[in-house]
Amino acid sequence: MSVFTIEAFLAILGLVLLMIEAFAPDISRRTLAALSIGGTALALVLFFTVASHETSSLPAFVQPWMKLDSLAIFYKGLSLVITLLVLWLMHECAPYLSKYTVDGRLSELFSLPLIVCAGMMWMAAATDLVTVFVALELVTVSFYVLVAFARKSNLALEAGVKYLILGALSTGILVFGIAWIYGATGSLSFEGISAALAKPETSKVPALLGAAFLLAGLGFKVAAAPFQSWVPDVYQGAPIPVTTFLSVGSKAAGFVVLTRTVEALIGEHSIIGPEVKALLLVLGALTVLLGSLPAIFQQSVKRLLGYSSISHAGYLILALACGDSIRTGMTSGGIVAFYLATYLPMTVLAFLVLAVLRVNGQGEDIRDFRGLGKRSPLLALALTLALASLAGLPLTAGFMGKLFVFFSLVDHAYWGALVCATIGAAAGFYYYFRAIVAIYSTEGSSNEPLKLNIASKVGATVLAVVIVVLGVYPKPLQHTLTKPVEVAAKASAH
Amino acid sequence: MLENYLPVLLQIVIASGFAAVTLLISVLVGRSAKRTAIKDSSYECGMLPLQEGQPRFSVKFYIVAMLFVLFDIEVVFLYPWSVIYKDYIAAHGAGIFFSALSFVSILGVAFVYAWRKGALNWRN
Amino acid sequence: MPHPPQEITSSSLPTLLLLLPLFSALVILLAHRVLKGACVAISIFSAAICFVISLMLLGTKDAAPLLLPFIEVGKFHIAIDAVMDHQSRGMMFIVTSIGFFVHLFSVGYMKEDESKERFFGSLSLFMFSMTGIVLSGNLFMMFIFWELVGLSSYLLIGHWFEKPSAAEASKKAFLTNRIGDFGFMIGILMLFMANHGDVSFAGLHASFAEGPLHDSAKLHPTFMMLAALGIFMGAVGKSAQFPLHVWLPDAMEGPTPVSALIHAATMVAAGVYMLVRCAFVIEASPDASYIIAWIGGLTALMAALIATQQNDIKRVLAYSTLSQLGYMVMAVGLVALQAGGSHHDAAAPGHPAMFHLYTHAFFKAMLFLGSGAVIYACHHEQDIWKMGGLAKHMPVVFITFAIGTASLMGVPYITSGFWSKEAILGVAFEVKGGSPLLWIGVATAMLTAFYMTRMFIVAFFGKPRSENASHAVEAPIIMILPLALLALLTILSPWDGAARILEAMKPHHAAPHHTVEIASILALLIGSGAGYVIYKGKNSDPLASNPLAKLFANKFYFDELYTVLVKVFQDGLAWIITGIERILVDGIVARLPAFVARRFGHSARALAGGHLQGYTFLLGAGLLVVIYLIVFVLPQAGH
Repeated sequence: MSVFTIEAFLAILGLVLLMIEAFAPDISRRTLAALSIGGTALALVLFFTVASHETSSLPAFVQPWMKLDSLAIFYKGLSLVITLLVLWLMHECAPYLSKYTVDGRLSELFSLPLIVCAGMMWMAAATDLVTVFVALELVTVSFYVLVAFARKSNLALEAGVKYLILGALSTGILVFGIAWIYGATGSLSFEGISAALAKPETSKVPALLGAAFLLAGLGFKVAAAPFQSWVPDVYQGAPIPVTTFLSVGSKAAGFVVLTRTVEALIGEHSIIGPEVKALLLVLGALTVLLGSLPAIFQQSVKRLLGYSSISHAGYLILALACGDSIRTGMTSGGIVAFYLATYLPMTVLAFLVLAVLRVNGQGEDIRDFRGLGKRSPLLALALTLALASLAGLPLTAGFMGKLFVFFSLVDHAYWGALVCATIGAAAGFYYYFRAIVAIYSTEGSSNEPLKLNIASKVGATVLAVVIVVLGVYPKPLQHTLTKPVEVAAKASAH
Repeated sequence: MLENYLPVLLQIVIASGFAAVTLLISVLVGRSAKRTAIKDSSYECGMLPLQEGQPRFSVKFYIVAMLFVLFDIEVVFLYPWSVIYKDYIAAHGAGIFFSALSFVSILGVAFVYAWRKGALNWRN
Repeated sequence: MPHPPQEITSSSLPTLLLLLPLFSALVILLAHRVLKGACVAISIFSAAICFVISLMLLGTKDAAPLLLPFIEVGKFHIAIDAVMDHQSRGMMFIVTSIGFFVHLFSVGYMKEDESKERFFGSLSLFMFSMTGIVLSGNLFMMFIFWELVGLSSYLLIGHWFEKPSAAEASKKAFLTNRIGDFGFMIGILMLFMANHGDVSFAGLHASFAEGPLHDSAKLHPTFMMLAALGIFMGAVGKSAQFPLHVWLPDAMEGPTPVSALIHAATMVAAGVYMLVRCAFVIEASPDASYIIAWIGGLTALMAALIATQQNDIKRVLAYSTLSQLGYMVMAVGLVALQAGGSHHDAAAPGHPAMFHLYTHAFFKAMLFLGSGAVIYACHHEQDIWKMGGLAKHMPVVFITFAIGTASLMGVPYITSGFWSKEAILGVAFEVKGGSPLLWIGVATAMLTAFYMTRMFIVAFFGKPRSENASHAVEAPIIMILPLALLALLTILSPWDGAARILEAMKPHHAAPHHTVEIASILALLIGSGAGYVIYKGKNSDPLASNPLAKLFANKFYFDELYTVLVKVFQDGLAWIITGIERILVDGIVARLPAFVARRFGHSARALAGGHLQGYTFLLGAGLLVVIYLIVFVLPQAGH
């Protein structure tokens, strides 16, 4: 069995669930959730057994467009994990979400994530721009539906329309960029683009123009400035599980493509390498600032997390701009992957707490956190960890990722970007800790203990433990992601 | 490098300059008319407008339009496929058939879904 | 056996040393409601095993096992790595043995305490942090455990937090230590910077011998001095040296076993231990060595003067601890001066500071536990003028206390205290320019003899001066046992064989200096003679009305001075912060964006105000900016 079979299985399962919904509308929500969660869990288990084999390869007919390298395997695993978590969150939120749909049914909610997951997994392995585009659209179009899922809520509708229009626009920009790149280099595969850009006779301006459109299109997907304006509104309007999915899944998928694109654009001897690097530095620094400074004034936690997601994207772009780092011994792709792996548990945990509050009839403002320390010490502790980790406190998962980015910046002596990143990190400490202070403030709106089901308790505990373990002992993860660098370094030495 | 773009810049300047100058001239030379409600109404033809200039369409219209585009594109995709089908299958085997089959069946599922969900039912 | 024993000790034993107390602390923290009394057993069990392990480690080969790699970024490492050498093995023996005895003693002493689970949990946490400090192979790890020791001592001192004085004392200890830790951190960062990110002791040592630090010590002596003094600041806080000594006497508010554990043998000794570990840093800067030696000497003298007029039995011991720590710090400075001049290694076995630390640890722990037994017997009466005649009532405690007192005073040739004090004074005698410090040391020795005689006579002889003292009875066996064991160790500790097992503590085998010997014996005779004459058969302090004595009794008014200073600084700081807030937060952060938004007016708000058209426009504009940048601006900037 190959990894591709698992992806196909997920996509088909998604379609089957859609058909079940179409022909058996009376099927219980629980059954659908069980089918979808069970299917994803099965896929995850199968994936781990398959991916650990060296021999796992792709079937012949997709080989021209896909490649299974360690980065691809990592992102595929990440996609499966986040999909599983999101499906579980959806199940947890189902009672309140069903109030906002027209007929109270939620079946697409359980089938679309599977299709998104398949799309993300394909995207992770894609080696040429057309495959990237198709997979990316599979993900994005599914997200259009997911974002606007709570149709009776005005905020969700607004978010859906904004995401649809701006997303379509950015897709257009992306395709335009692909066309320009194809015109300039005569190739659509990353390898071909890289090779063509290394030749001095390739004309520079069309390539630059293509790169600009490409980066702008992808920048929209990963919420990079100046294409980030949709993020707070969409994050606020979308249902909590979908926001989680957007902020981790969609972002991770965007970054794997961005990683490969940037690697192709700034490869050795690339004629447009310096310009692309400089552009990424400017955009990254701007993204960090535009993400973290407005966050200071936010009252809604979902908006706050939206802005935080922007600023995290900024750090990741800075890491990409630096290229490989000597001091950390990691490739920029490795740093980005590490960062995203640590970003997953903390974001999911923060949204999980939001979801629990929501299910218990609370709002999504910082002041709704008040008194949480009394109402549920476990959730309060978990959320504290998540927020501290998002801020990048040492000994939490978020610290190491930021540290790597800072090391890369120091390595390449990008002082201006370093200053911006530092300002962003400092602002981050301010606004995350403002939320932490609210958790432990005594004057809560109510003092009743929160009702938590066992799954939420276990989930919150596991995620919190992962945050601490990754913060205290990040080496195993770091090593998994460093290995390809060493191999690559050795290969290039010979 | 920058000099190469001088023609572009010139064209932008001329184009926007032409528009500006035309407007300016009409303001300067033309006699300024009195503005009345009737003069400002759309289609200055003596008829009173009956409703908004932009009537609202039923959302069903958009759904059908979207579905039309969707399946229209399917045909667009299938057209070149059918053109090379015979030569390709002779040279490379039946792979081309199965890939189109999966494409069509996915669209088939979508069609069934749209149908069962009542998207094609105009009355509802 | 598949594994040679050496291999087992190299990493599993140190790991066990660290994990056992941590495990015990965690279990007690999480499950104390279920476990109740079993908490005590768990804590004692872990302390006992640690003690056994540290015994097993004695005499093993040097090793540097890596326990947990934490951050590894190219050249930059932060790890939990242990160093097993003569110093850590010896120190570990002291820490675990005294820790174990204190655990035992506490079973009796804290029998009626309502929250003894919390107490034993904190004890285990303390043991964990102390073993961490002793084992640490790099400065970062040491700093982490350094902070943990601060935390656990805060918990222990403030154990009776319902007593306002205890709560105050714990806060004071914590805050004072933070000041020192701040300096320590700066020192670490300076070394970190100068040595390109390597702060392991091995790496630093090598770099000082030949490498970047060697060069920077040559080129930037001031930088090196500041770094050494920064490191020293950490020790000033933890070992309660002047001017941060104020927390230690107040910390006597904690339960007495805690005083014995923290203030006699382990936490305060950690500062000295750390200084000896970093001896090569101090050595590199003669100026710093000089300052350190003088601060140690001054602390020793000042604390001894204050001790002469204290009436609380624990406070006398606390100031005597301060004074002895001053001795050790002085020794660190002096040895660094000596080593800096010559070519012998200050970190080699036989550092006089470590020798004194070792002898002092046992007799001072014994004295503290003895005073605990006395306090327990007198129903928590701590004033020596309300005791008296205890020798008859509690003979065993009396004998052990006598042994401890004799050692502290340095009765020649038979007590451990004498030998270690001689070693320090001997260095002061040898070092050029050390003679003022030598005389300070001798004067301190005289004062020590004086105040110890005073306390001993007043508390144990004469008539009982209170109801409680006359009804005092011998302490229970669980409290006697640790006392007896510690007395045994105190007697054995100067013996050559015992010292040889604890390599680091081997006495300094310099040629004995007769001048020094005669001077210290004379000091002892004069001091204790004066004490005997003045205090024999007295019911109140005959010196109390003396203005100088008042100065000592009030501890040179340091607390009052600090109160004023803190107030002045706090108000000043508050004033500055308010200013910053007005300008920065109100002005720039809050007003400026509003101002800008107003300037740009309606259009700006429309763009960012949630309108789709605005977003679309921004997206397009952003795209144009990106194209403009990459096509026109950056190519020019790049070339």
